[in-house]
Amino acid sequence: MDSFATVISVLYQFATNGAFLLLSALGLIVILGMMNIINLAHGELMMMGAYTASIAWHRGVPFWLCAILAFVVVGLFGALLERTIIRRFYGRELGALVVTWGISLILSQGALAVFGPFLPAIPIPGGSVAVGQYSFSVYWLTNIGLACLLIIGLWALYNHTTFGLQARAAMQNAAMARALGVDTGRIYTLTFSLGAGLAGFSGALFAPTVSIAPFMGQQFVAPAFITVVVGGATNVITGAVGSSLLLSLVKTPVGFLLGAFVGTVALLLAALVIIRLMPDGVSAVIQRRIDRRNRFA
Amino acid sequence: MSDHSSQDRQSGNDPQANPSDVSGGTGADRRKVLKLMGAAAGVAAPTYLRGFEYTRSVQAESSGPVKVGFIEDESGNLSVYGIQKLHAAQLAVKEINEGKTLKGGPDIGAGGLGTLGSVAKNPPTISKEGVALDVVDAGGDKSINEVVFDEDADVFVDSGDKGILGRKVDLISVDGQSNNALWQQLARRLIQQDKVDVLVAGFASAEREAIRPIVDQFKQLYFYTNQYEGGVADANTFCTGPVCEQQVIPVVQYMVEKFGPRGYTLAADYNFGQLTAAWTKAFAPLVGGQIIAEEFVPLSVSEFSQVIARVQQAKPDWVMTLLVGQNQQNYYPQAAAAGLKFPMASTVNMAQGYEHKRFKPPSLANMHNAIQYQLEVPTARNRAFVKRWMAMFPNDQYIGEMAQNTYFTIHLYAKAARLAGTTDQATLKKALELGWSIEAPEGSVFLEPGTHHCAHYIRLAVCDENHNVKFVRDWPSIQAWWLQRLGVNLVRHPEYKQYTPDEDPYFKMFLKKS
Repeated sequence: MDSFATVISVLYQFATNGAFLLLSALGLIVILGMMNIINLAHGELMMMGAYTASIAWHRGVPFWLCAILAFVVVGLFGALLERTIIRRFYGRELGALVVTWGISLILSQGALAVFGPFLPAIPIPGGSVAVGQYSFSVYWLTNIGLACLLIIGLWALYNHTTFGLQARAAMQNAAMARALGVDTGRIYTLTFSLGAGLAGFSGALFAPTVSIAPFMGQQFVAPAFITVVVGGATNVITGAVGSSLLLSLVKTPVGFLLGAFVGTVALLLAALVIIRLMPDGVSAVIQRRIDRRNRFA
Repeated sequence: MSDHSSQDRQSGNDPQANPSDVSGGTGADRRKVLKLMGAAAGVAAPTYLRGFEYTRSVQAESSGPVKVGFIEDESGNLSVYGIQKLHAAQLAVKEINEGKTLKGGPDIGAGGLGTLGSVAKNPPTISKEGVALDVVDAGGDKSINEVVFDEDADVFVDSGDKGILGRKVDLISVDGQSNNALWQQLARRLIQQDKVDVLVAGFASAEREAIRPIVDQFKQLYFYTNQYEGGVADANTFCTGPVCEQQVIPVVQYMVEKFGPRGYTLAADYNFGQLTAAWTKAFAPLVGGQIIAEEFVPLSVSEFSQVIARVQQAKPDWVMTLLVGQNQQNYYPQAAAAGLKFPMASTVNMAQGYEHKRFKPPSLANMHNAIQYQLEVPTARNRAFVKRWMAMFPNDQYIGEMAQNTYFTIHLYAKAARLAGTTDQATLKKALELGWSIEAPEGSVFLEPGTHHCAHYIRLAVCDENHNVKFVRDWPSIQAWWLQRLGVNLVRHPEYKQYTPDEDPYFKMFLKKS
């Protein structure tokens, strides 16, 4: 029984770590992966989501509605951002990097100036379930499920809808897409807005488990970038899933046996090794596998 | 021993420094003196303590306000503490400018050591003649067991002075933003550019260690008001918060008695957490306990599911949580949501970051902390203090340990400057080494001259599942004795370092027992 409970506990930790990486990276998958904009304001968009959720929650809005509200608010803000600033920097990766960094500073310092150093916390919804000596947070179990649903939804959106088709076309060859009648400007706005909204949504999901403060986004930026970069650009969604599972596979046992600090070190080392061995990311390797199998089939 | 001789030397020059003056009894004389001082600006100011050498010209400083330099984190990971401390400083400065002070003075503090004893109804009568102190009347049966101690409720009195020595006090406060590099810049700015008369600054030990070299370079009078791991022996630095020996041993002893010997330490991964964990581990065996595992968590971590699983696996009798900052405080709601129910002990949590007010019950249920102060301290003087605070900051949620320290420290500084008759920093350092007691909201605090650390009133606070706090055990005065054991005497032998448990052979002896 005890060893069974330990197995369950390790599985839970594995899924939690993976879901944490995936949720952190959610908005970035779309913006960095699809549009190739290195969005350094990703953390601040998550912060905005958490702020929206906290403000709404303390006005009596139920938590799940708060999260959806965060998606809408930050999504609209993303659209505005794309229309006014980001679109001037397409094709200029370094310019976009600097400008999003500037936006991140304005957002975090602005939040500090307007709302003060922190907002009141949101209690973690849901209770716990116990297995043997271990017990697990229902909220995190829900988040694991949500992370899976969101990634499936994203995959379906980009592979099975007209918008997805047009978006992929616009990203691959904008001139050709335009020639075929795709309104690429609109696609860019929608994509950026979707990415921002997803960042806001995961910010709201993290809000009960972290301190809601102006600089809270910073803790998610590194894991988010590591997840997306390790995943690679060949196929962003499979890449992100693959890399978050792979990184969690390294972090979980090391963290469980040797402590959280060593776990984090192991994650960073693993990212280093993976990028060295697979310079195009996990998704390129997966894609090659699939291609080879298709050829032989 | 050497403490005594140094005090004798100083008071020998002026057999009556008239300490009762400082407690605010007779302000009239001083006002006269101040008027004279103002009239004869440029003439050396009279001082109540002769024999102090002036290192700066009195002329330059007797004009303009007294500048209290103040750095705390008003934003970032540590702002939850910094804002309380800022408000404490603002309150103290306002009170000083309004002519108020706390009771106390060199060697005349009320309160002091309390002891558990058997008490009779009336005090015993002792015969007048006998050198043998013959008891004539024992005062009745010694039937009541209690702490032989009582404290004065009325400690907030007139200082007989507006500001300090008639000069207005200005608080020059800057935001350290929880960023050590910025702390260094700000310390330089306050010392070199603003030329502050006193520096009151520092939350995290890393911040203090970042600015202490600058403090020493300019021989700046510096107060570190935080609770911390202990060991700073620095002639320019006065540490007014409690340290490990005053908190760790009481709380560990209680936990072992109440819940069993096996403790699990969860600590912030920087000098405070590491060293406090070392104290816990080394001293647990002395009270029959044992630390079965330690885990150090980086300050940036706010996701604790793996940490929680490891604690569950170890099944300790109690968990020592030494978690610091807004990120790490999320351990409590996460642990509660994951159904973790081990009794908890701490020397920092609850009393500083008021986690029991910020998180939904029962996140902090069964938390035990040997605190020196927190808002709930159930004495009349503390209620009066809280009332004064809330009148000035009606929107504040809490007054924590360090906020109170900052508050009485600035009052202590004002009292010392009044006694010395100057704000000259070198003089004031000597004046502060007279052996001061101050009647802080927590109780009587004694600033020990040789180590520049304070003896504090320690109480064991317990948080219940509705997040109400009660105090289950009192230690009216616990010394900060560790530096004394290491032979530190800053009056006799100035030094500028921080000692760590590695330098104390006793720690290794204790560890072998475990």
